[in-house]
Amino acid sequence: MIALVAIVAVLLVIATAVQILKIAELRATESGKEIYEISAKQSKAQALLLMVFLVAYFGFFAWQVWKWGGLMLPVSASEHGVGVDELMNITLWFIIPVFIITHIFLFWFSYKYSFSETRKALFFSHSNKLEMFWTIIPSIALTVLILVGLSNWNKIMTPVASEQEHILIEVYGQQFSWTARYAGKDGKLGRASVEYIEGVNALGIDISDENAKDDKIVKGEFHLPKGVPVQFVFRSQDVMHSAYMPHFRAQMNVVPGLKTQFNFIPTITSEEMKKITNNENFEYILLCNKICGAAHYNMQMDIVVESKEDFEKWLAEQKEFSAE
Amino acid sequence: MSAHQHPHEEQDFLFKYVFSQDHKMISKQFLITGFIMGFIGLSMSTLFRLQLGFPGESFWIIDFLLGSWAENGVMLPDKYLALVTMHGTIMVFFLLTAGLSGTFSNLLIPLQIGARDMASGFLNMLSYWFFFVSSVIMLISLGVEGGAASAGWTIYPPLSALPQAIPGSGLGMTLWLVAMAIFIASSLLGSLNYIVTILNLRTKGMTMTRLPLTIWSFLITAIVGVISFPVLLAAALLLVFDRSFGTSFYLSDIYIGGQVLEHAGGSPILFEHLFWFLGHPEVYIVLLPALGITSEIVSTMSRKPIFGYRAMITSMLAIGFLSAIVWGHHMFVTGMNPFLGAVFTFTTLLIAIPSAVKVFNYITTLWKGNIKFSPAMLFSVGLVSTFISGGLTGLILGDSTLDINVHDTYFVVGHFHIVMGLSGIFGMIAGVYHWFPKIFGRMLNNNLGNVHFWITIVSAYGIFFPMHFLGLAGVPRRYYTNSEFPLFDNLFDINTLITWFAILAFFGQLIFFFNFVYSALRGPKAPQNPWKGNSLEWTTGVKHIHGNWPGEIPTVYRWPYDYSKLNDNGDYVTGEDFIPQTVPLADGEKDGGEH
Amino acid sequence: MTTISLDNLDNIKYKTEIRQKTAKPLLWIGLMSIVMFFAGLTSALIVSKSNSIWIKLEVPSMFFVSTILILFSSLTYQLSLSFTKNNQLKFATITTILTFVLGISFTVTQFYAWQQLYHSGVFWAGEQSNPSGSYFYALTALHLLHLFAGLISLLVVVTKSILKKYSPTTILGIQLSLTYWHFLTALWVYLFFFLKFIA
Repeated sequence: MIALVAIVAVLLVIATAVQILKIAELRATESGKEIYEISAKQSKAQALLLMVFLVAYFGFFAWQVWKWGGLMLPVSASEHGVGVDELMNITLWFIIPVFIITHIFLFWFSYKYSFSETRKALFFSHSNKLEMFWTIIPSIALTVLILVGLSNWNKIMTPVASEQEHILIEVYGQQFSWTARYAGKDGKLGRASVEYIEGVNALGIDISDENAKDDKIVKGEFHLPKGVPVQFVFRSQDVMHSAYMPHFRAQMNVVPGLKTQFNFIPTITSEEMKKITNNENFEYILLCNKICGAAHYNMQMDIVVESKEDFEKWLAEQKEFSAE
Repeated sequence: MSAHQHPHEEQDFLFKYVFSQDHKMISKQFLITGFIMGFIGLSMSTLFRLQLGFPGESFWIIDFLLGSWAENGVMLPDKYLALVTMHGTIMVFFLLTAGLSGTFSNLLIPLQIGARDMASGFLNMLSYWFFFVSSVIMLISLGVEGGAASAGWTIYPPLSALPQAIPGSGLGMTLWLVAMAIFIASSLLGSLNYIVTILNLRTKGMTMTRLPLTIWSFLITAIVGVISFPVLLAAALLLVFDRSFGTSFYLSDIYIGGQVLEHAGGSPILFEHLFWFLGHPEVYIVLLPALGITSEIVSTMSRKPIFGYRAMITSMLAIGFLSAIVWGHHMFVTGMNPFLGAVFTFTTLLIAIPSAVKVFNYITTLWKGNIKFSPAMLFSVGLVSTFISGGLTGLILGDSTLDINVHDTYFVVGHFHIVMGLSGIFGMIAGVYHWFPKIFGRMLNNNLGNVHFWITIVSAYGIFFPMHFLGLAGVPRRYYTNSEFPLFDNLFDINTLITWFAILAFFGQLIFFFNFVYSALRGPKAPQNPWKGNSLEWTTGVKHIHGNWPGEIPTVYRWPYDYSKLNDNGDYVTGEDFIPQTVPLADGEKDGGEH
Repeated sequence: MTTISLDNLDNIKYKTEIRQKTAKPLLWIGLMSIVMFFAGLTSALIVSKSNSIWIKLEVPSMFFVSTILILFSSLTYQLSLSFTKNNQLKFATITTILTFVLGISFTVTQFYAWQQLYHSGVFWAGEQSNPSGSYFYALTALHLLHLFAGLISLLVVVTKSILKKYSPTTILGIQLSLTYWHFLTALWVYLFFFLKFIA
């Protein structure tokens, strides 16, 4: 019944629209014009609307920054993340003025030079000087961006040297949960492969490997020490996932058949971040950022950053793999 | 007079409208099929925006349209992914690749270069029918057991290879691959024809530097297509082998559904390399024709030559070339070699230079013009705006360091929808408004066109601009709902706002479709040259004839941008403010925009 | 830069002129896309090679025979064109048929080569397969698929040649088929050396 009413309503709307168009055409023809001709007045009206749009567009932009600016990710909780944020700011300070200036020119010219019967357009087909100018300016700006970006990139992508003090954690992804495995006292992760998956050994750890005995497996949440480099290695059980830790400006794909890695130094504990964000319930989070199946939207694990002492205490409480 | 004088009148219905080899009819077929696919893609996006804006709420329309894909008016999570996947596939390939290039390359190449038809009418017809069959298979895949392909339009394995991982990777994915293989064949046949026609069948006097920028853009697009689509075919074939025959090109070390799969030695990253070798040029396959179309419109409607004709061509060539060596920027977080990451950052940011040149040239074309705002011109100005707004955020995503934190978030969704989706669709719609009189011999209604433009641009920015903020807040894309994370709770308003704009955008397009159908059937009859354009298509009659020009094909004497050219006395050379390409050069007059 | 007027748009002369002008470029650009197709596949192999379980495989001896056969077929086909140009149509027919026979023999040797591979424990798919073996089969089979198109074009040329449809001036069909055939030979030689030295 609803469908029938809807169909009738749509037909009525279409019929009305057709009649209105017909009448408009007739009126135009009567006044000796064709309806599709665009008069200077109509052009000016659209040009004016373009100006209104320009203001509204900038207004919308400003409104969003004002309204949602505070909801963005808080300060970076990792050392390299500060560099990322700085680069982001530099880039934004470059992008936003360009955005504003080009839009002003675009819409202002549209408005100013909208059609008039009396004016003649200027035949101006090229100017080597101008074209050179706006090839070179972006080139210089981009060179700066590229150089700053790449120096950061190389720093981030260098793995932690093995002799340096660090925590080694394997993050293991599967549909639709994360598991973390700490390397334990020996600082080495035991061998693992999907072939060994059986019963409680859900991560497929090779039981015969000596390095595996003191590995510690945690689910639900995992802890990180403040100020100590954390080397992550990532492994997937089934399809591709992506380990995304937005507060640490860290992301790496988790690929079956391939070990990927990422490292960072946490700099702000969870407690400190609660104060910074003024949010009692704040938690760091690891989420999946590569489409991985139906429950992709709910594949998460909490992260707790605490002082080194608290971290060691917590880690000591976790069961070793051999004890399970 | 021979008996063959009016062969077109003897054609029966089937060969005139269905298996036509005439480029103008094929162009119409592409346009209409493309728009039907586009409408389906648009509807899908509106439906999943309902879920994102009002997660878990029951909608009558979802129940009605999705049937078993929904439960009590709420779509199921895996079917949400199917909708997202099909929306992406349809929009990128069927609307903005085949719909855009197919329509305008077919319509404008012979008409603007002065040719009777395409190099091979038969291959051209085949190109359309492959596209049609591919569209049908793609739509059929929506109804099969397990649902349509659900692994994202990028169909990354292993997700796309394993029905155990998501039901859509069963028969739905198989049909997706079949449809895409046929689609690629269609696209290649089209591109072959476009390239050869442009290079070999130009009329007398039509040198390469007298070609309208539309033709240049179609040429470069076709070349990019010929180079990159076969690689996608290779990638898809290897995926077919993995899925259907048990090879291990992409798969390795997988435990799923309680057992270890026997695949060993493959790498999903390989697929990404092959996919993005097409995938990135694909962006420019969408963009370049849109830029070509709007260059033509901006110049014509401003009554000024396009500023920096040669720079426009050079920058398109540069974009075309660079597009083939930047694919790695989609893979910064796949654990790629950091040095490689640096190289791809470099090449990616380089693309900004030719893009900037194009933008500045557009703006300078407007300067001191005499601009008539037809709906086509409004959409062209809109394209320049979206190209700037979306292009600038590319500087963030193209930078490997910054990409780490915004990769695969809503920031990316906002970026590519504005720079590729909106620019592509604005260019296409601008083209339809501008060349509608050439396609259907009738005029579209300008007032409805203006309303359509304003609703579209306002809602489009309303949808995609806030997405940048979602992305900067860390919201990943392809999430069925954001309600599972306390972190995202206060971003709820943004999603609701976006959905309202999406609904507005949907209804705005209905105005366009109404205008389109009404005007094609009942609109006022078009004059031969409604916009007072210079290029050759306006020298043909309103009524389509097989072979385009009765008698000889006109000879070309000048470039197509002699608008408002004055003689030494300060008067228009021909008495009007435009000089068609068929008017010979006066004594001492220089061609190609020399002063 | 065509100046044919509308009157004769549908007549044979116009169609032939357009065909003369565009058939070869169409083929060449088509070949370019096939090149990209195989470039994609062979670079995929290079990427896959870095995997730890990659095995270096020996090229089966039958592939040597294939190579010689296809090189020889290119030669005979080229001869056939020269014969047609010199109006020695009988020889042309014979060499075309010879080319076709060589093409078929090439196909047969391919199947033999796959059998050799299979018996030496290199499998296309399944538990015991390795991507290195799968590439062997995939690359050669996809080349063979393209060769089938070449064989069909050869069959057309053979038939028309027997029916005496060619003359020293009407050789476009042979030229097109020949170009494609040479391309297949070159592609095979590339694949052969690629499999022998790089895979």
